Formats: sequence, structure tokens, C-alpha cells
Amino acid sequence: MEALQYFLISWLDPWLVFLLAAGTFAGIYIGAIPGLSVTMAVSILISFTFSWQVNDALCLMIGIFVGGVYGGARTAILLNIPGGPSSIATALDGYPLAQRGEAGEAIGLSTVMSVVGGFVGILALALAAPSISDFALGFQPRDFMLLAILGILLVGSLAGESLAKGVVAGAFGMLIGTVGLDPLTAEERFTFGMVQLWSGISFIAVMIGMFGVSEVLFQLRHMDKVAVKQDLSRIVPRWSSVRKMLPLSLQTSTIGVGVGALPGVGGDIAALMAYDYAKRTTRNPEVPFGQGAKEGLVAPETANSSAVGASFIPMLTLGIPGDAVTAIFIGALFIHGLNPGPMLMIEQPHMFWFIVGGLVLANIFLLIFGLTGIKIFTRIVEIPKGILLPLILLLSVVGAYALNNSVTDVYWMLGFGVLGFFMKEYGYQVGPVILGVILSRLIDENWRRAIISEQESLGSFFANMLTSPLSLVLFLTVIVILLSQTPLLGHARRALSRAK
Amino acid sequence: MHTTRSKRPGEDIFGLATLAVSIVLLWQSYEISGFSALSSPGSFPMACSAVMVLGSLLVVRDNVRRNRQATTTGDRMPIITLTGVIFMALILAYALLLEPLGFLLSSFLFLMAGMMLLYRGGVVKTLGIVLLALAIIYVVFRLIFQVILPEGVIPERQIMAALGNLFGGAR
Repeated sequence: MEALQYFLISWLDPWLVFLLAAGTFAGIYIGAIPGLSVTMAVSILISFTFSWQVNDALCLMIGIFVGGVYGGARTAILLNIPGGPSSIATALDGYPLAQRGEAGEAIGLSTVMSVVGGFVGILALALAAPSISDFALGFQPRDFMLLAILGILLVGSLAGESLAKGVVAGAFGMLIGTVGLDPLTAEERFTFGMVQLWSGISFIAVMIGMFGVSEVLFQLRHMDKVAVKQDLSRIVPRWSSVRKMLPLSLQTSTIGVGVGALPGVGGDIAALMAYDYAKRTTRNPEVPFGQGAKEGLVAPETANSSAVGASFIPMLTLGIPGDAVTAIFIGALFIHGLNPGPMLMIEQPHMFWFIVGGLVLANIFLLIFGLTGIKIFTRIVEIPKGILLPLILLLSVVGAYALNNSVTDVYWMLGFGVLGFFMKEYGYQVGPVILGVILSRLIDENWRRAIISEQESLGSFFANMLTSPLSLVLFLTVIVILLSQTPLLGHARRALSRAK
Repeated sequence: MHTTRSKRPGEDIFGLATLAVSIVLLWQSYEISGFSALSSPGSFPMACSAVMVLGSLLVVRDNVRRNRQATTTGDRMPIITLTGVIFMALILAYALLLEPLGFLLSSFLFLMAGMMLLYRGGVVKTLGIVLLALAIIYVVFRLIFQVILPEGVIPERQIMAALGNLFGGAR
């Protein structure tokens, strides 16, 4: 009963309701603009909310977080520019849907499924917080490494026409991720003596270049094509569509919860893993994946939204951030005199249930704002290309510049844009490059931590991996997925059948 | 490894260039710390670049196979059109002028030139669209989100301060 009282605090105070609504609304638009990240918005907000009541500050930040993760999908669908890393997978099938004139339905479906995913994440937070946190706390560096390797194996799903090209792109992305000073020893890697490269290459600049600029250059060759007329007669998705996608969305929400609850791993990896899962498990999709499959849109959107609620699990129960945004949340809680960690749920349970209540309300506002503001947004893609393409490029430049107030990021973005253009033209997908950049640090650091803890002995590294149940399961999963992506399994099957 | 797309002009050269770059990256990775230890800073980059070399070799092999099997010339439409080259030059000029001229002036010039090249909707109409778009982008990024953009030759801060004084004084 007490929990319900705490849960309803934000529901019964009109000012808190307003802050949650305003935060969610603003979050959708911040998330939709490439270069304006949710992390950036929440960190800026902290400075504004120093002197506020903790409840007020949390409501605004929760709203921005929930809205922002969803908002990235809109530009991913309409312009092929993911608003943030967690929308990269959304662009893979969302943009082809818009090219077929189904942007309205795509956004409507992604909205409803984001809310479904959001509720699953909150449910996990409310019910399973302590046990999931205990499980995640038991992860060794080698487990994180194996998890990241599982992630990088997704190149098989994202590779397009050729696995070899996907491997080249993924490895190239991982190398980009290693540029700069080594985080463990501060040794220079691929800096070529340039101080400007010490802090590495901004992942967002690579992302905007590879997705946004390359798409602009790609479209220049097809200027004669008339802008696709978008069907806006139905934005609220049909119940039959929702019902059809619901089992998949519930399954991928579980992936989002599992990945989101791991410290340091966020919605971006959850979305990519969910996309891969959908591609593997969906038999006979109406439209092939990569060409506008609704399953490819629903899976990442539910996963990244469910990861939002789940990312609060390690934060509230262990004091460990689930991702970059919850790291800022921890800072905000400290500023307001709260101490996130195991004692928070014992000493101040009201704060836990207040956050759960705020997340639920923010998801309700997400449904309202997500389904009502689509028409204006969707009209963007009907603007003549001659106007739209220079504007996309301008937005990309502003987004890249805003990262560090530096024109260097703009140059990186343009360079990767041109490279991405040639890659697309020659059948290399840009998705694996981004995947590589995201996972590079996770694999690199955890591999080295793991091997250092084994005194540089590969023998004991594998021996310990095979004796730990968690590591063994992850390792076997890696092997199975690896084999399923190479022709080896097929050759072995054929050899077996010949032998019989 | 199946391939369904017809080969594009320059695809062989791109494949070979990727192989060359990946070999250089492998050498550069080795230069970081050699084979000193499994946990050395160069171990992971070396593994990645080795995988990249392997992948690039497979791509080159596929290209050679396709050359042998090719019965048609495939898509011979040039990768970059003249409009594309001019637009890329505009983008480069925009990036170079962003800091010296400032966001407002360089963006104005880029949008005008870009839309005149691609849209061809008349000077007055293009001017109207550019000014409207620039005003919206400026308000959203500079005024609402407080993104710092290069000021350049237009003394934005003085203008904003003067406007602030004007409205402050009126109150």
C-alpha cells in the first residue's frame, strides 16, 4: 500500500504531471535531432535543476530520457539519420518503409511498440530489480567480452550482400574505436603524432557521417526521383498489426531488459541484438529484412525502450549506471543528497517507487505525443529533394559541430560521409562500422582485463571460461552463432548426409 | 558467398584499396607494441586489422571470380555525377568557411548555392526558404539548446545583447 502511495506521487501532483509531459515532449524532439543526444540534454538539465526539489528535477529528467530514446526513431525512419545510437537498428527497416510511403504507419507502430517495451522494462524494474542486479554483478570481464563479441557477430545480420564485406566493415569500425590514447596504459594508438587524435574520433561524428551525409550523397544520384507521397490516412496502427507484432515485441523487450540491466551496456546494443533476433526467428516476413520489414522496425524499438526501465535497475540497487544517461541520474541524485545503491531501497523506498511511477506516466505521455505529432513530422520527407538535401547536410554539420564546439568533428563527419557513400555504392553496409565502433572499447578493455587476471595465460583463460556456467553458456552461444554465419555448418551437414 | 548486385565502376579498385589500407593498419597496429604481451595496447587492434585483411582478401577474391563469370557489363552509370562533384565542393567550402565566416553567413551561402544547384526554384523563392530554414535552425539550436556555433564576421553576441537591452529597457 505504501508502495502505491509513493508510486502515485507524480500522478497526483499537477506540477509533476506537467514536468513529466513537458520532458517527454521535449525529449522526443531532442532525440530526433541528430547530434542532440539525450545524454547531452539531461546533463544540461542538471545545471538548471540544482536548486529544484528532487522530485521536480527527476520528473523532468525521466521525461526527457523516455522521450529522447523514442525520438531518435523518427529521423531514422524519415531521413535515415538515427537521432541517437539506440536508433541505428531502427533505420535499417524504418527508412525503407518511409521510402515505400509508409512513414505514418511506421512511426505509429514504432510508437505503440516503444510504449509496450517501455512498460516491460518498468515491470522488470519493479519486480525483478534486486535479483537481476545480483545476476549482473556476477559478470566477469570475460563475460562482458563474450557479450560484446556476441554483439559484433551481428555483422552477419547487418552485412547485406556479402559476409566478407560485413566483416571488413565491422573490423574497420572496431579499429576506429581504438584510435586515441589507450584507456588502460595511455599509450598512443593510430594517432600519428597528432594531439587532436588523443581523445579519439567522436562516435557521433562517424554515425552522422556514415548515415546522414552518405545518404545525401547517395540521393544526389537519384534527384530525378519524385518524393514519395506518404500515406497518412492511418497513423494509429491497426489492432491486427499490433497483435501480430506483440509476441515479437515481448520477446525483444526481454532482450532489452537483459541487456539494459547490465552495467555499462545500453539501449544501442539491446536494439541491435533485438534486430538480429528478429531476423533470425522471423520466418517468411511479408517484406525481406533491410527492405522495410515491420519486424525489423518493431524489434529494436521495443528493445531500446525496455532498456530504459532496465537501466535503472543497476543504478537504483547497486549505484552502478546502466548507461550514460543513468550515470548522470546518479550525479543528480547525489546532488540532491540521495545515495543510490543497495541502501536506497531500504532507507528511501519512496524514491524507488516514485521513479517507477514517473516512468509509467512518461510512457503514457509518449503514447499521446507519439501518435499526435506525426503528420507535420512526416511531411518532412515530402519536401523536394533539392531543398531537403542541403538542409539535412546543414543539420548534420550543426550536430557534429555541437559535439565539442569544434570544426574537427565536422571534418571527420564529412570524411566518413564520403567513405560511407562509396561503401554503400560498392555493397558494404555502414551498420557494421557503427556496431564495431560501439563495441570496440568493451571488447578491448574486457579482453585485456580478463587476460591480465589470468597472468597472460591463454590456457587458464579458457579453463576458467569453460568451468564458469555463465561464461560457458555465452561462449557456446558465440560458437553456434559463428558457425551458423559461415558456410562451415552447411559443408558439415552435406558431408554428414553424404556419409550416411 | 552469394552476390546479387551487378558490379559498379571502380569496385575492383575500391576492393584493392581496402586491402592496401587494411595491410597498412595491420602494420601500424604491430608498431603500437609488437607481440610483447596478450594484454598489450596493440593486441586488440592487431586482431581487428588481421580480420580486416582477411575479409578484404575474400572481397578481392570474390571480385576476381565475378570478373571471370561476368557476362554483362552491369550498371555502368557513373558513381559521381557532375552535380555530385559540385555539391561535394560546396560542402567542403562550407566546412572550410564555417569558422572564418561564422555559422550564419556560411550556412546562408551554402544553402543558397546548394538549393540553387539542386532545387532551381528561382532566386526569390530560394531566398525565402533559406531565410526561414536558417531562422528556425538558429532559434532551435542557438537560442533554445544553447549550442555554441561559430560567430565569425557577424557580431551575434553584441546584436543579442543590444536586443536584450532594448527589450530590458522597454520594461
